[in-house]
Amino acid sequence: MSLDIDPHIRHSTRHVGRSVPRREDRGPLTGRSRYVADIRIAGMLEVVFVRSIEAHARITAIDTSEAAAVEGVLAVFTAADLADVSTFPDFIPYIGPVEQRPLAGDRVRYVGAPYAAVVAVDRYIAEDAATLVAAGTVYEPLPTVADLDQALAPGAPRLYDHWESNCSFDVAPHKPEVDRAIEEADRTFTETYVSQRQTGLPMETRGVVADISDGTLTVWSSTQSPHMVRTTVALMLGMPEPQVRVIHPTIGGGFGTKTHIYPEDVVVPWIARRLGRPARWIEDRMENLVASVHAREQRHTVEVAYDDDGTVRGVRCASMLDMGSGEIFMPGTAPVFVTNACITGGYDLPNMEARTIGAVTNKTPAGAYRGFGIPEGAFVMERIIDRVARLTGTDRVDLRRRMLIRPGQTPYVMHGGGRLDSGSHTESFERALEITAPALERARARHADDPDVRVGVGYANYVEPTSPSYHLTTGHWGGGDAATVRVDPDGSVRVAAGLSAIGQGAETIAAQLAADMLGVSPDDVTVVLGDTERAPYGLGSWGSRGAMMLTGSVLLASERLLDKARRIAAHMLEAAEADVVLTDGAFHVAGSGRPSVSWAEVGTAAWVRNVDLPDGMEAGLETSGYYHPENLQHQLDDTGRINAAASWANGTHIGVVSVRLSTGEVRIEDYIVVHDCGTVINPALVEGQVHGGVAQGIAGAMYEHFQYDTDTANPRFASFMDYLVPTCAEMPHMEVDHFESPAPEQPLGVKGCGEGGTVGPPAVVAGAVSDALSEWGVDLTECPVTPVSVRAAIRAAEAARGGAGGAP
Amino acid sequence: MKPAPFEYCRPSTVAEAVEALGSSESSRILAGGQSLIPAMNFRLTDVSVIVDIRRVDGLDSVGCDAGGVTVGAAATQTRVLNDDAAAATVPGLRAALRHVGHLQIRNRGTVCGSLAHADPAAELPALAVATGAVVGVAGPDGERRIDAGDFFLGPFWTALEDNELVTEVRFPAPPDGSVTIVDEICRRAGDFAVAGLVAVVEADAGAVRSARLVGFGLGGAPTRLPTAEDALSGWAPDHPSSGLTEAVMADAAGAFDDIHATGWYRREAVAALVVRAARSALAGSEAA
Repeated sequence: MSLDIDPHIRHSTRHVGRSVPRREDRGPLTGRSRYVADIRIAGMLEVVFVRSIEAHARITAIDTSEAAAVEGVLAVFTAADLADVSTFPDFIPYIGPVEQRPLAGDRVRYVGAPYAAVVAVDRYIAEDAATLVAAGTVYEPLPTVADLDQALAPGAPRLYDHWESNCSFDVAPHKPEVDRAIEEADRTFTETYVSQRQTGLPMETRGVVADISDGTLTVWSSTQSPHMVRTTVALMLGMPEPQVRVIHPTIGGGFGTKTHIYPEDVVVPWIARRLGRPARWIEDRMENLVASVHAREQRHTVEVAYDDDGTVRGVRCASMLDMGSGEIFMPGTAPVFVTNACITGGYDLPNMEARTIGAVTNKTPAGAYRGFGIPEGAFVMERIIDRVARLTGTDRVDLRRRMLIRPGQTPYVMHGGGRLDSGSHTESFERALEITAPALERARARHADDPDVRVGVGYANYVEPTSPSYHLTTGHWGGGDAATVRVDPDGSVRVAAGLSAIGQGAETIAAQLAADMLGVSPDDVTVVLGDTERAPYGLGSWGSRGAMMLTGSVLLASERLLDKARRIAAHMLEAAEADVVLTDGAFHVAGSGRPSVSWAEVGTAAWVRNVDLPDGMEAGLETSGYYHPENLQHQLDDTGRINAAASWANGTHIGVVSVRLSTGEVRIEDYIVVHDCGTVINPALVEGQVHGGVAQGIAGAMYEHFQYDTDTANPRFASFMDYLVPTCAEMPHMEVDHFESPAPEQPLGVKGCGEGGTVGPPAVVAGAVSDALSEWGVDLTECPVTPVSVRAAIRAAEAARGGAGGAP
Repeated sequence: MKPAPFEYCRPSTVAEAVEALGSSESSRILAGGQSLIPAMNFRLTDVSVIVDIRRVDGLDSVGCDAGGVTVGAAATQTRVLNDDAAAATVPGLRAALRHVGHLQIRNRGTVCGSLAHADPAAELPALAVATGAVVGVAGPDGERRIDAGDFFLGPFWTALEDNELVTEVRFPAPPDGSVTIVDEICRRAGDFAVAGLVAVVEADAGAVRSARLVGFGLGGAPTRLPTAEDALSGWAPDHPSSGLTEAVMADAAGAFDDIHATGWYRREAVAALVVRAARSALAGSEAA
């Protein structure tokens, strides 16, 4: 990696590419960070939302009088009170419009839907009153749909009376070449693969504090995208955007769930405006599990055409997303499109026909979760490859070698138009295999004497679209971001950007890059993120876009600032501008270190001692850059294809597992990741992203599963007793290695790495457990892989062979 | 997740605690609060009076003699877990407590509270049944003692009357030379068990002489496995008794389905645990 973009910069110390310590760590580690829940404003009121206990019902009456009479309660609001608030916009033309109101009116479509808000002097009183509102609510229950089958059955109860069915969208491309492959191939098989419902589950739940003073509505929200919250709140409340300020203070994780703009983001500000007093709502964990978006519930029916030698000729896939009620802004429809776009992963398989279907059900709305559809597709592809290998007697590793995109094959255009700009698809796999070999030997040796244990290995080769278009997701926003760089009179640097710090280290990398561009220490760089008044417009942090967008925009702004600073310095040095260089933070004439002009002198001239500026130069030293990746597309081309990501990272995951036959217990003995996210700005941050992502991937592979009652669509979970979030105790030993294939079109070659870690584990664990149980012919098609599902698979295999169902 | 209004009292004698408990129909004893407080915050339980027994004189004692260990109602799980004398006298106590929750939970949670709560997936009730513990109870009519085998009536249901509280539990020392195994299948470290087993095994010459087996996590009260106990008699790794698995499956026939596991899985799992316990008990008794 080099920063030789500008021949006039010559610093002896570089920070980009080094594991500069995270500046974000001190606060959380010392308990000094200020989260939304820590904000206290004199006179602040507490809001509690009353939520539907019915999965599908008409609300015929809400008697709020008893609640309103409780001492300490200031108001109880229902949809009728919010007549001056518009519905959430339905921006995407090809999905069913849900016309979502901030508080449900006479119809509720999932358990947890907010339909009233109680405002009181404290949370205890508000909750007491909320139970009275609940008791005063008259429901007329409607028939429910709890899953895709029920939703799409002929004559199914409809969630939206003005829709023809519960199908929100059905995009079905036809590829004659896939028809031909299926006709001509030696063999075919069909199968259905299932990914279960989960959520991103940040440690900090959501929360909103709102206050109007001096004509400005200030909203503190635990959101990943404060500017988008501002635009939406201003639109829905009918206020000018400059009068709305949105701040996210320290955020305890988002993982996609906080990219959405929720009813509470609109209702709490409305309450503050209506009552003229500050108001706050903090989501409790019980609410969080039903009121923040769910994700990942997809079903994939595939028809695979393959030859006797294992060659996969073509795949036809119908990917179906269970959207829950669909009542969420922005809609949760995009992940299944990403699933299909990325389904072939790191493999060269253009003959893929992928249909995309979304249906609504009486469950919590589905939305974004780190990985955003990629893990579901990787699961399908890797399970297909393992099946073909087993059916044809082909070695699983060799088959993958044959299918992987080879060096020199990039840029490679995938079946749906995704353009893999560069990558190390084959190299990563080979490197991961090298690391795996001793790990596999260790695991086999460890269990060699135990007849109750089998060892297996699983593989995943995936691609990770980074810095994607937000137009496909929102129908409104695009995909670029802005940054502003300023040098103050004392020479210190301030960087402000529309990106959000959500725990990933955004502030650290912004400081690293600005420091290298301007020849200062990262400690001299103040980074301002997450405040619509103090930072320029940006779309926030999601889609593995932070590194790419932040460095792209900061680089642009820094170059412009340097340009002006050098002209000022040249004037002060009485030298020609072309001769002035910047070395370690001091401007001087090339070839002679003295005299020199410091940043403080330049900053002072720009802002204070204007007499030192060249004649006619505009004062000030603050520049902006708006970065939009050049190859990022927002709309489908004539052939229905799109490259909806600015770049594409890739990686290989391999897991070695042991399976205890008698109990079905699965242990990941070793987990290997070889990852390529282009130029690495901070290796420690990248490893952290990989570790955390793999942890969440393992959560999906083995633990987390939102289950609903099929008869009533009621949640079968209420707390962490039922929704199993793994902890560090469940995490395996992990080895991580990197390749760096620079993004050819990003100035620094940066790609992004936020999500890749989540992608591999479901495919890897299911593949490894199936491998371990190959003597039974077990071939898992669903996640999570649990002791119960493993035992059930063994028992089914034994029953199919006519053997006893008991443990060996 | 805030509780509904309730009254709080903090007696300093057992008699005062009994009186306070009788003051309202929905009064509840607070010891460690690791189950009661979340239930109140979820508004799942209607509590009008909290009777906090943590300051009752003498209730936090842990007494140990050759015949067994007596644990007072306010003694925390951590305190018992760290008591070397208690662990030496009733080894099952430490073995069971290691599986209970996490450090933070054990720092507040009490041994007697776990018995009174009677969660079907909890380790301590099963240990109490397996070791023949006796529960000391106080009520308006004075004190009484209840054998653990008669104490647990079902999930979250004990022989305690509404106006009674547990004051202590006495775990007798297991037979000399026996090995106590506490083993369980749980989804995550520190979780309640999907299926668990307490086994007190006596062995001779490399074979099981007798065993007392109590399953937990099977749905109701801790479950004695009498047919399996018979089938295990004479069991040795090289001569596994026929029908052991079937015997456990039959004894655990009432195992229930829930979100974490099927009843069928629970029965298979507890059968696997019985075999595992027998193996490690034999290995343990040989080592001793």
